Amino acid sequence: MLIGVLIGLLIGGFIFFLVQRNRNRVLKIEDGWWGTGVPPDGEEDVTIHPFKVTTSNEELEDLYSRIDQTRPVASLEDSKFNYGFNSQYLQTVVSYWRNDFDWRRQVDKLNQYPHFKTKIEGIDIHYLHVKPKKVPEGTTAIPLIMVHGWPGSFYEFYGLIPLLTEPSNPDDLVFEVVCPSIPGYGFSEAPHKKGFDSVCAASIFHKLMKRLGFQQFYAHGGDWGWLVTTNMAQLEPKSVKGLHVNFAPPSKPSLSMVLSIMLGRHFPKLFGFTDMDIQRLYPCMAKLVVESIKESGYMHIQATKPDTVGRGLNDSPVGLAAYILEKFSTWTNCDFRNLADGGLTRKFSLDDLLTNVMIYWLSGCIISSMRFYKENFGKGLNQPHSNNGMAGPGTEHVPLGI
Amino acid sequence: MQRLQLLKETFFGLDAVQQQLVIGTAVAAGGILGYIVHKRRQVQTIPLGEGWWGAGERPLSEDDKIYPFEVQTSDEEIEDLHERIDRTRYTDPLEDSGFQYGFNSTYLKEVVSYWRHKFDWKKQVAVLNKYPHFKTRIEGLDVHFIHVRPPRRENQKVLPLMLVHGWPGSFYEFYKILPLLTENQDGVVFEVICPSIPGYGFSEAPHKQGFDSLAAARVFLTLMERLGFSQFYLQGGDWGSFITTNMAQMKPQCVKGLHLNMFTSRRGFKVLLSLVIGPYFPFLVGLSLEDVRRLFPFFEKNVWNILRETGYFHIQATKPDTAGCGVNDSPVGLVAYILEKFSTWTDLRNSDLADGGLERKFSLDDLFTNVMIYWTTGSMVSSMRFYKENFKSNPEKRVDAKTGIYVPTGLAAFPGELMHCPKSWAQNRYQNIYSYTFMPRGGHFAAFEEPQLLANDLVQFVKKVEKL
Repeated sequence: MLIGVLIGLLIGGFIFFLVQRNRNRVLKIEDGWWGTGVPPDGEEDVTIHPFKVTTSNEELEDLYSRIDQTRPVASLEDSKFNYGFNSQYLQTVVSYWRNDFDWRRQVDKLNQYPHFKTKIEGIDIHYLHVKPKKVPEGTTAIPLIMVHGWPGSFYEFYGLIPLLTEPSNPDDLVFEVVCPSIPGYGFSEAPHKKGFDSVCAASIFHKLMKRLGFQQFYAHGGDWGWLVTTNMAQLEPKSVKGLHVNFAPPSKPSLSMVLSIMLGRHFPKLFGFTDMDIQRLYPCMAKLVVESIKESGYMHIQATKPDTVGRGLNDSPVGLAAYILEKFSTWTNCDFRNLADGGLTRKFSLDDLLTNVMIYWLSGCIISSMRFYKENFGKGLNQPHSNNGMAGPGTEHVPLGI
Repeated sequence: MQRLQLLKETFFGLDAVQQQLVIGTAVAAGGILGYIVHKRRQVQTIPLGEGWWGAGERPLSEDDKIYPFEVQTSDEEIEDLHERIDRTRYTDPLEDSGFQYGFNSTYLKEVVSYWRHKFDWKKQVAVLNKYPHFKTRIEGLDVHFIHVRPPRRENQKVLPLMLVHGWPGSFYEFYKILPLLTENQDGVVFEVICPSIPGYGFSEAPHKQGFDSLAAARVFLTLMERLGFSQFYLQGGDWGSFITTNMAQMKPQCVKGLHLNMFTSRRGFKVLLSLVIGPYFPFLVGLSLEDVRRLFPFFEKNVWNILRETGYFHIQATKPDTAGCGVNDSPVGLVAYILEKFSTWTDLRNSDLADGGLERKFSLDDLFTNVMIYWTTGSMVSSMRFYKENFKSNPEKRVDAKTGIYVPTGLAAFPGELMHCPKSWAQNRYQNIYSYTFMPRGGHFAAFEEPQLLANDLVQFVKKVEKL
């Protein structure tokens, strides 16, 4: 009997060891090089250069003359936003852009926070670095990296930054914020080599934080930012004190997830669903499957032919605006498809929306931003990092907030 | 034998009324069975329906005259194009990526340079006008078509034929095959109609929602009727295949024969079974060795390839207005979008080549003429909408998916087509296949790429139907 117990313990211990090993495996990656040609000999230039967003009359005139050259196509009668961005409302937005939008004023707004560029793994990485003006006695500001997604940019965080670096309540925490642009987006240089996926971006951002002197920091991300910051936690769990995401899709459907979808409506407590979860998940087919298919065309084409789909958008500012702003309509609320104006200005101002579009337009980064989809999905969703749990120092996992 | 004896004894043991009841039931059952079998054999058709696609309110009556039409251009049009080309903002491709990320920008610069400096649009317009063009109003839209009569009609059987194009093609794809069909083919010669699908090229785009392949089929049937043809042949690939199939389902009495270079089957148990057993015992499930060669390994050839190549389909079937907006302003964007298909759908291996293998089968003049038809008419967005109109709801539940095709059908299976469909699968839908040919070479744009091969197959099929 004793031998039986011993064997049982051994087998149990072995299984436990295997499971633990899988869970606590840390993601590894080699250094990459994303510049043109071969990496030069010698040390990489690690200086940090201050950067200012600038514009010029030529730039604006080119934009305006292209807008004037637009060949609009009328939307089908009564189709609202169901076929994509409605042509009539597009006229309204473009007219504002052409006649009322003040880009120089927006550039000043962009420059209200200090921008920098530094070369990492062969490409120029752009980022904001916002230090709080006042830090309460005896405390230090908490370092925080915030990563944007597509079709967004660092500009999405401009409303959030003051709330984090200058909280109105003196008892609130104060943060020191770093907002980089993902390579290939906005003012960050685009990789010249194939294979630049979210893990590569995470590795570069780790180097950035180290270069800025942060050994430990918090990370926040949504859309691609979710995946990049998650990868950061997987690469170096000791550096990431906590991870906060506003987008967390399951990467591999597991048995428990499938069961919870099938039975969750009837036995919510069994699967840990709250009322809110039930409301948002069901009816399942309609909400999860059909909706996903309706809204993922862009993802499918960007994950397969990014150079083709982005080609026209880099010449046509109106085409670019329609492509990007359609997302700001439908991803805010998919019912907005039934509105003639796509509900765009219910939650956003045209100035803010167009500033984001201008970042894509002036940097000409639409194609490289789309390539990120192919680099991440091209090999399938079952990447090593999707299997890993997240291990942390002392604790089992990096603390996660969703 | 014993059971028969038992039955006989039981039957004769019953009284008269009961015997009559049994006989009556048996006759009734036989009658019902016979009716069911007969009904299935009877040709089912799909209803014609009706529609009106013009702007605003429908008028009381409509002009049904046929007007001659000529393709035209102007210096302004060409200058505007050149100016836009000059303002293209190129993005460098990733090193060593061939056509894997889409149309390679380095090669794009080369072809665009040809377009800008050597391509002669005025000359191509003259080429387009060598056949007579017409327009006529059907269901509120101006429908464009070319009508080519054979030059020598004496001592020959002249058969009317409609050729329908697809996306991103046009009626121009047929310009190489037209001479082969309208000149003598030892006894058989065709009088050819090539329309433009509404929303494509010179045909007006629908203003109302809902214009799907059934509507296009009805419009084209009306066109043939208006031209005085009561019976005719049909040929199509891509959307043309769907539309001509619908035409054969709506009015089988008018369609003498249907020839397709792209065709699909319904998914079903039979298909699944042949996928599972096919690699090992092909003949058991109706697959030939050539079928096996083209279908397997299934996942790689059919699932991954289809996923890789259908991004455009997905976005056009959901957000056509968004997808088309930019390419309507940027001629280079339009070129990349369209010509990528002429590269990859001709041979999937072309994606590994730095130049996409484009000029191996097509001349730049021909490719750009097709692109110009989309550019000068600004019809890219409306052409994309056709995808959404057809895939808004589940296509498997639409009436045409549940109806068979009973007219004599000829199928030409080209090896470079995106997905191979064996004859046994095609028989799920096409009930009257007269010929099924494994074509030796060629891809999706069969008429454009291999006009002689396609013409040969079409003629041999028609001869079978005509019993020549």
